[in-house]
Parts: sequence; C-alpha cells; structure tokens
Amino acid sequence: MKTRILGFAALLAVAAATVNGLFIVPADLNQGDAQRIMYPHVASAWLAYLSFGVTAMAGIGYLVRRDLRLDAIALAGAEVGVMFTAFAIWGGMMWGRPVWGVFWQWEDPRLTTTALLLALYAGYLLFRRLTDDPHRRAARAAVVGLIAAIDIPIVHFSVIWWRGLHQGPTIGDPSKILNPSAPPLFVLALMGMLAAFTLVWGYLMIRRYQLARTEWQIEEHGRLGRISAARRSFITESITEEAAP
Amino acid sequence: MSEVWFVIAGYGVIVGGLAAYTLALGRRLSRARQASLRIRGEVESATTADVGE
Amino acid sequence: MSALRRHATIALAIARKDALAELRGRQAVGSTIFFAALVLLLFGFALGPDSGRLAEAAPGLLWLAIVFGGLLTVARLHQMEADDGALEQLALYPVDRRAVYAGKALAGAGAMLLLGGLLFPVVAILYGVPLGAAWLPLAVTVVLGSVGFAAVGTAYAGLTVRMRAREVMLPLLMLPIVAPLLLAAVKATVAAVAGDPFGELGAWLQLLVGFDIVMLIAGAATYGFLLED
Repeated sequence: MKTRILGFAALLAVAAATVNGLFIVPADLNQGDAQRIMYPHVASAWLAYLSFGVTAMAGIGYLVRRDLRLDAIALAGAEVGVMFTAFAIWGGMMWGRPVWGVFWQWEDPRLTTTALLLALYAGYLLFRRLTDDPHRRAARAAVVGLIAAIDIPIVHFSVIWWRGLHQGPTIGDPSKILNPSAPPLFVLALMGMLAAFTLVWGYLMIRRYQLARTEWQIEEHGRLGRISAARRSFITESITEEAAP
Repeated sequence: MSEVWFVIAGYGVIVGGLAAYTLALGRRLSRARQASLRIRGEVESATTADVGE
Repeated sequence: MSALRRHATIALAIARKDALAELRGRQAVGSTIFFAALVLLLFGFALGPDSGRLAEAAPGLLWLAIVFGGLLTVARLHQMEADDGALEQLALYPVDRRAVYAGKALAGAGAMLLLGGLLFPVVAILYGVPLGAAWLPLAVTVVLGSVGFAAVGTAYAGLTVRMRAREVMLPLLMLPIVAPLLLAAVKATVAAVAGDPFGELGAWLQLLVGFDIVMLIAGAATYGFLLED
C-alpha cells in the first residue's frame, strides 16, 4: 500500500517535471530548445550510476552475508540501471544532433563511458539467466557486478585522456549546459526532474525486488514439487514391486 | 524548428519508456504472484497426498 | 615473509603445471597463435591493399588480434582443468585461494606474452610497420597488456567455465571490461612506433599499470568465491 502511494507520487512528480521542462522553463540562449532534453538526460544518467552502485554494494553484501534478499536488490539495481542507461544515451543523442551536429561524439568521455556501461550491465543480466542454482548465481553475479563497477572509473579516465592527450577539446564541455543567463531556473528544473526520477527509481526498485523474490519462491516451490513427485512415484513403485511376487 | 522534434523524441522515448517499463513490471509481478499462489496450492496438496499414502 | 614465499611457491607450481600441460598437450598454443595471425591476415583483406592505411591501422588491429587470441587462451586454461575434474581438486587443496589465482593468472600472462611476442613480427612484416626501433617501450606495453588481460581473464574464465553457453558469455563479459586496456595499449603502441612525439607514452603506460594493479587485486579477492561453488 505504501509502495502504491509512492507510485502515485512518482507519477505526479514526473508529469509536473515534464510539463515544467517542456513548457515553463525558458529556452537556453545558446542551445535553444535542445537544452530541454538535458533535464531527463542528466537525471537518467545520475540514476543509472546510482543503480549500478547499489548493485555492486548489494553484491558485496551478498558475498559477506549470503542473504538472497541482497541478491534480489542487486538484480533490481542492474535491470533498472540498464533502462536508465539506455535513456541517458538516447537523451544524449537527441541533444547532440541539434547542438553538435552529430548523434554520436566519440571524443565525449561521458557518452563513450555510458555506452560501455550499457554493455557491461546488459552482459550482467544475460549472465544471470544462465545459472539456475540461486546461491551459485548470486555469488557469480556479485563478482561480475563488482568487477564491472571497478572498471567504470578506469574507463572514464582512459576516455578523458584519449581526448585530453590527443588535442584540445573541440567541443564545448557538456557540463556548461547550465548557461549563466538564467541559472537558478535551469538548476531548479534539473533538480525537479532529478527528484521526480528518483521517486520513480525508488518505486521501480521496490517492484523489481518484489518480482525477484516472488520468482525465487516459484523456483523453490517448483523444486519442492519435483521432490514430492519423485517421492510419490517411488512409493507407488515400491508398492507395485511388493504386490508383484 | 527541427530542434523541437528532437526534444519531442527525447522526452517521448524517456518518459514513455519509463511508463512502459513500469506497466510491464506491474504485469510481470501480478502474473508471478498468481503463479506463486497456484504452485503453492499444488505443492501443499501434493505433500498432503504423500502423507495420506 | 615466509607466508608470502609459500604463496609464491604455490603460484609458481600451478603456473608450471599449466605450462607443462600446454607444452606436452595438444599444441593448443600453436593453434591459438595461428588463429590470431589469421585474423591479422583477414584484416588486411578487409581493409584493402592500401598499405598506408594498413600501417596506420596496424596497432589497433594488432591489439584486437591479441584480444581475440587471448580470449581463447584464458578460456582454455580453465577448460582443461574442468574437463578432467581437476578444478574441484584444485578447490579442495588447503592453500590460499589468492595463491591459486596468482598461479593461474601467471600462466595466462605467460601464454599472452608468447602470443603478443609472436604477433608483433607478423604485424611488422604484413603491414610494413617499423617496430624494431622502439622494441623496449613495445615490450613494456606487451608485458603490461598481457598481465592486465590475464588478470581479468583468469577471474572471468573461472566464472564461466562451468556455465551453459560459456563460449559466448566469456567474450560478452570480458570485452567491455578490457576496453580501457585496449585503448591504452593501442595508444602506447602508436606513440612508441612514432617515437613518442607528444610525450604521452608514459601516461598510457601508467594507465596500463593502474589497470593491472586494480584488476589483480579484484581478481585475487573474488577468485575464492568462484572456486567454492
């Protein structure tokens, strides 16, 4: 019930933040309307990083405590994170085309890092489906999530150097999107979008966690069912054997 | 103003995608809960049958 | 000190066992190197006969060939254990798991080094790149790249060796992880061949060292969990 209230709050907040970002906040002087995409784009990227941090932490927690609930949290983080990563990339492309003139800018460290992030955690999700035993799956997934999380800063640095050592950046830094002409309004719009997306994130994390727990219960019941079926057939067999001679 | 189309595409996919994922997740969850209840019932009847024999 | 020496002895013994198995075995090293050289030859076909373009792309192609060959190498080092049921015995030995990891990683790094060392002359001949002049920085790059790849590869091969669809899962998990290694190794190779005109060689080698250290620590810390299951 509490989760449902959170869901409604998230719905209202996203609707309000979207209307605000699209119609109420003025357009940027340099980038015009394209800048409006930055609000959901930055919020998505931020939540993607948060999700993967949760996955790594829950994975470490599982390795220490051996509690499958922590593994369910790790799974929820990875799946929700992959979705937000995809949104962040899409938003970046839709912003890059009008502002930079291209969908994809190889020398932008964030875009390139985010693309690798998507590959890393899509692989994590695929990997999880290929192991059946819940504890084995949880331990292996924890290792994958941990190494992936460690890799992210290395990727980021390497791509920054890739650009930085080569030649001066030819394109304006994306962090300067908050143009000083009307900073408080833009910052407020971004913060509003971030708050709204964080509410949605919390709702989705809870629901995905519940789904993982329910599916695990089904697996467990299936196993129990198979065991009792085997027992029954064994009993029937032994009865017929006794009756045979 | 072709820029506007990029803005619409950006918001449309992100907000629409969020909605689609939320709905799909809700459907997966309710289906899983039904299946869980059904299987639990089957297992219980199977185990009582064992005891009966 | 004595504990460290004991671990080193265990690691060396495991690495020696793997090396012996490879040398006496089915010449798998030879076929992996042949495969990687074949990849280099096919890149030549794919990019056409323009020798200038080939020379320009050579460092990237070389490291891609090393990565592809390396995927086969690290997978095989665990596969041959799992095939004979030796991995279970390895897990039962009352030794530190980090020493086991170090031994497997050492064997992997040795095989990678052999692969890299043999592919460099192939690239020099096929693509007409003058590699001989800058042999020292190139050797350092190959050593660092091999260690880093083996550090990740040993952990991930241990992870996937008893899984369904491991042939697909290993590259799928590993390729994004080694992306910064590939980037740094290619950039270091380019800089070394050109005589380091921008003074960036040191930075890329530093990145490789950082990658190696971080991944060795991560692998050593987690390998025990993988042997357990």
